[in-house]
Amino acid sequence: MLYLELFIQGLVQGSIYALIALGLTLVYGLLRILHVAHAALFTLGGYIGVIVSNATGSFTLAMIVAMLLVGFAGMLMYKLAYEPLLSQPPYVSLIASIALFIASEEIFRIAFGPYGLSYQTPPLQGHIELFSGFYLKYAEILVMGLSTVLMITLAWLSMRTRTGVAWRATVTDPDMARAFGVKIQNVRYLNFFIGSSFAAAAGVLVALLNNLVEPTMGSVASYKALAIIVLGGLGSIRGTLIAALLLGVLESFGTIYIGHLLDRDAIAFAFLILVLMIRPQGLMGGKL
Amino acid sequence: MKKTKQISAILMGALLTVGTGYASSIKIGFNVPLTGFAAADGKSALNGAELAVEQANAAGGVNGKSLMLVVYDDQASPKEAVPIAQKLIEKDEVIAAISGSYSGSTRAAAGIFQEAGVPYIAAYAVHPDITRAGNYVFRTSFVGEVQGRAGAKLMGETLGAKKVSVITLKNDFGKSLAAGLKEAASNYGITIVSEYEYGIKDRQFGPIVSKVKSDKPDAIYATGYFFTAGPLVSQLRAAGITVPIIGQEGYDSQKFIDIAGPAAEGTIITTSLNRDSASIETKNFIREFESKTGNKADMVAASAHTAVKVIVAAMRKAGTTDKAALREAISATSVVAATGNISFNALGEVRKDVQVQIVKNGTWREYSVISDSKLLAPPNQ
Repeated sequence: MLYLELFIQGLVQGSIYALIALGLTLVYGLLRILHVAHAALFTLGGYIGVIVSNATGSFTLAMIVAMLLVGFAGMLMYKLAYEPLLSQPPYVSLIASIALFIASEEIFRIAFGPYGLSYQTPPLQGHIELFSGFYLKYAEILVMGLSTVLMITLAWLSMRTRTGVAWRATVTDPDMARAFGVKIQNVRYLNFFIGSSFAAAAGVLVALLNNLVEPTMGSVASYKALAIIVLGGLGSIRGTLIAALLLGVLESFGTIYIGHLLDRDAIAFAFLILVLMIRPQGLMGGKL
Repeated sequence: MKKTKQISAILMGALLTVGTGYASSIKIGFNVPLTGFAAADGKSALNGAELAVEQANAAGGVNGKSLMLVVYDDQASPKEAVPIAQKLIEKDEVIAAISGSYSGSTRAAAGIFQEAGVPYIAAYAVHPDITRAGNYVFRTSFVGEVQGRAGAKLMGETLGAKKVSVITLKNDFGKSLAAGLKEAASNYGITIVSEYEYGIKDRQFGPIVSKVKSDKPDAIYATGYFFTAGPLVSQLRAAGITVPIIGQEGYDSQKFIDIAGPAAEGTIITTSLNRDSASIETKNFIREFESKTGNKADMVAASAHTAVKVIVAAMRKAGTTDKAALREAISATSVVAATGNISFNALGEVRKDVQVQIVKNGTWREYSVISDSKLLAPPNQ
């Protein structure tokens, strides 16, 4: 029973990781940029979610607004920070990204104060008892449910719609795609929009689980998401999802059973190193 | 020629008066985290210290001069604290300094102040090694182990808990509290059935919560700050755990209650600030802090306020800003402050009662006071 609970906890955490890491993998797949500042969008989503929810009393509205606004913020980030640097070597955009992230933490502190914000009346705090003693919070069900829905929607979009096909074509071969009339610029904007709005969803959900958004809440996400996309295989969406869920479950069991030896993040990275030693391209990465 | 001489003389005279106005204020150094993960506590501590300085100046200053707080942001990082300590000593020439920061940075700075012979008071940092830096370093709040022992007495005697699960924050603060608890646990009939650790950035405690639930303890001793304890307590209660949760002064803020919401009800903590105190000092502090900042008073603000008070009282008694004389006066302090009656032992550790507070109807209220002087005796070396 305990094992089941730990497993479910792991899936919940893994779903959050998946939502965040997905945006990172989308950007890497398309532009080969390590978009560290993605974690700032996660934090922004959390803040917008709490502010809108406290102002209007509607959590659904908060989620929608957060996803939309942060989607646009992500596009703006691309336009202002990455597009001008596309012709530079990749480390230049990495540096810009890191700088953006560091600045964002302080901007959030200046704009929203150092104390963090909480929901005035946090929704979905109740729980259901699936069977004796096994509680599942509504919020946790929402995390897993919403992540699944978003992933399926994304999969459907990329397989079944023209836009999705154009997008996948651009990732595979931008020049060929351009030759076929695909507007590369729009694909990039769409890419950032989707990735960023998923991160915003993760932010709103995390704020719901903890009832706290803080300026520094993205700091763990920033490097852990990188670890996840490397673990999954750089550029592979499926790999990222598997790696995220796997890591969530691993951390869950790890913190209890080897927590006195290794810190939670250390467990994640130790696992990453292990996998890379056996399979350098990551779990689902293509040939190096 | 005469005219320019006159003008320059007047100008010099003016500059001199302004200059000496600045030079004649007494400077107290203050290192505090204003950015980074500890910025919330830092802001509170700064407000508490500033209030104390304002009050001292409104009462006529010290020995005819006004007090000035020289503040630097140390980001709660030892790397930042060391150059700040050096700057305060050499550039700002403070006559004493206060740490409004966490143990990591305070420990690093303490050595510097000790070497330079500048009195340094740790307002709320708990690591035992801080005062061991030397006789110029003092602490106005409990050393971690003492508070941990008080927690053992609270759980074993008052609450009658036999089996306790410990959830420890993996830093100086959490570890020294847990050490104190473990040291005294058996004296009060407590068996520690399990211990789990978490990092300061964790907010998701799902696995720990599940495991603690399966351990079925009589009480839970969880160390942390309001930003970790809020989510932790909320998640523990949401999982259906109903046993008492005992925290410490890291929880001591209205923010903890805001975050955990109804789950915070009944949480008991060992701390320094008694909201229901009969003491005029404490009442005044609580009232004036709230009117100055619009926020409710918390432990870090009260501790920083107390530290300033101690320095002011010592300066008035010593009648001089000579640092050695000031150190003597501080070590002989006996002053009533917002966090209780303050006096120091030979190591510079404070001797005062432990306030136990409980969350009732969404605010902190008095639960009990622990005055066992033998139990609470801080280390002597």
